[in-house]
Amino acid sequence: MALAPLFAMAARNLGRHPRRTGLTVTAIAVGLAALIFLWGFSDGLHSNLVRNLQDTIVGSIDIHPKGFFQRPEITKGIVDPKHIENALEEAGVERWTRRLVGFALAAGPRHTSGMVLMGVEPETEGRVTTLGDKVTIGRFLQADDDYQCVIGAGSARSLGVGIGDTLVLMANDRFGTLATEEFTVVGIATGGELGIDSGMFITTVKALQEMLEIHGQVSNYTLRVPESRLEPVYSALREKLCVERFDVLRWYDMYPMIHEWIILSDGFHLVFLSVVLLIVLGGVLNTVLLSMLERTREFGILMALGVQRSQLALMVAVESLLIGIIGVVVGATLGIALVMVSARVGIDLSALVGETRGFYVDPIIRTRLDLQHLWITMLGMLLVSLLAALYPAWRATRLAPVEAIRHG
Amino acid sequence: MSDTIIEVKDVYKCFWVGDVPFPALNGVDVEVKRGQFMVLAGRSGSGKSTLLNVIGGLELADRGTVKVCGRDFNETPADERTRFRLRNIGFVFQAYNLIGVLNAMENVAFVCQLQGKENSECMDTAKHWLTEVGLGKLLDRRPHQLSGGQQQRVAVARALAMNPALVLADEPTANLDSSTGRELIELMTRLNEDFETTFLISSHDPAVLAAGSPVIHLEDGRLLSTDPNRPPPQPPQAACAIPQRNWGQRFGAWITGKS
Ligand SMILES: Nc1ncnc2c1ncn2[C@@H]1O[C@H](COP(=O)(O)OP(=O)(O)OP(=O)(O)O)[C@@H](O)[C@H]1O
Ligand SMILES: [Mg+2]
Repeated sequence: MALAPLFAMAARNLGRHPRRTGLTVTAIAVGLAALIFLWGFSDGLHSNLVRNLQDTIVGSIDIHPKGFFQRPEITKGIVDPKHIENALEEAGVERWTRRLVGFALAAGPRHTSGMVLMGVEPETEGRVTTLGDKVTIGRFLQADDDYQCVIGAGSARSLGVGIGDTLVLMANDRFGTLATEEFTVVGIATGGELGIDSGMFITTVKALQEMLEIHGQVSNYTLRVPESRLEPVYSALREKLCVERFDVLRWYDMYPMIHEWIILSDGFHLVFLSVVLLIVLGGVLNTVLLSMLERTREFGILMALGVQRSQLALMVAVESLLIGIIGVVVGATLGIALVMVSARVGIDLSALVGETRGFYVDPIIRTRLDLQHLWITMLGMLLVSLLAALYPAWRATRLAPVEAIRHG
Repeated sequence: MSDTIIEVKDVYKCFWVGDVPFPALNGVDVEVKRGQFMVLAGRSGSGKSTLLNVIGGLELADRGTVKVCGRDFNETPADERTRFRLRNIGFVFQAYNLIGVLNAMENVAFVCQLQGKENSECMDTAKHWLTEVGLGKLLDRRPHQLSGGQQQRVAVARALAMNPALVLADEPTANLDSSTGRELIELMTRLNEDFETTFLISSHDPAVLAAGSPVIHLEDGRLLSTDPNRPPPQPPQAACAIPQRNWGQRFGAWITGKS
């Protein structure tokens, strides 16, 4: 039997109460657009957070001797760097740098204090992190530096040194004897994150190797890869490197809190999504059931004319599906447009949050469109329209023609 | 091909208000021949609508046989009765017969399209029947732009556009003033004469009864009779004593939506 006239009727029925249909479509569209935008905002925030964390000092992946991350010992480093560098090349990683990490005492004119020692290679460090940008007074280390150093502003204050002053560094060398060396302060770094401000002593790998007689040794390789390549590179490296000797850690293996926070936040978005979907479901159901109730007599007439109950059900279902689809198309377009625009323009939160110092978020948030999250949201909304279509359709199959005709 | 279009034998139909049965049809026999124009008369509440609904297969009789064009409705599932209606029975109700979102033409063409016929053919059919009922100039009007009498005429055109064996009209003139009502009846008698479509029309309008067509009188769910030997009507409890359905059958009825 021909269904075309019934579908045409379903489409016309939407125009019966244009304002009501419009309101329902708007509710779906605005709800969906808001969901997409909110999630886009939070995705933008997260990726900013992750990027800043990696950029500042952590990098994306770190390779070091097994157990080094838990108990760093500067003289127990990687002795065969070639092995690792081959693996890096095979995995297609181009942005990497080498570091020496440990602990030491630094003595200034006023004070002596324990510090985290970090040797960097100035010529490659900039490819991996923006550590150099944290230097606010003086300059960062350069390729031809050796016994120069950069320290945090807090340490500079407590040690009582400024640019051009010298610090005496004391650390155990390879043989366990105390080695001392003088370093000239060339830069002072500020930045609340990861103790850069207080207790960090940054110098060159070269100087430390010489001072501690660990020539050719480094503690770790720090890599920077795009977030999308993180997992493939990670597995490739784990395959190539002997995991008995080396730890390959992703940024979130080292700093799980931010990662867990993101997972939690996405979970929250799912809950939020469900709540909004439930509200939308109620709204659409209300509209469709109301319009069914108004047309009960008409349904009775249709059945008397020879329209099957299943055809009525189909017509009702098509009506609410149409509402849902229009709402989803409009809402998705709006939501995606909003995310795209604010990804380009950025949302300036500096008036609200000021300068975030202890946290890795820029005050200007650029929203980000995560396709998976977009699909989840859109599918959820479509599913809800489908649900809102099924119940009224089922009701239509339960109509008795005589009662329906007597109605109204 | 038999000459009998409607064959109703000893039909009972009860409505239950709580536990109290009410026999709306209490043993009715009706026979309508092909091409007849039959009027179903009776006071309000006498069971006219109930009888028409049962004849149209909109609901089933509790007892007795209802056959239209030889088809026994008691042995026809609901979906098939609906399909049968689409091919064979046109309905005209008292008022508000039309689909609000469709114009006159579309209302008439709709049933034809449902029957699976070509769109252009249906448009021609619709135009033909609307012209036939005198609405050739109002094809584009929506129902709310038509008077009550015009709406009823569209409904008549729609019933005939199905090319049915039988048209059932339940008080088609009740909502019209008497002269408009008379015109509608004249229209239907003319159509009956011109196209030999069978009509069964319920009414308590004196003008309809005076039109000279054969009349069946209903009273309290029975045909009026002058036969002194006819047995008295069955009391409600007896008329409505239908075999109680067990839980399984009731559940089945609830699932399929059959009362
Ligand atoms: N669903 C129902 N529930 C209970 N009683 C009903 C129901 N439908 C009809 N009746 C009763 O059945 C009887 C017959 O009703 P019906 O509608 O067939 O009368 P009618 O002859 O068409 O009356 P009218 O001329 O007013 O339309 C009435 O007494 C009515 O009260
Ligand atoms: Mg009636």
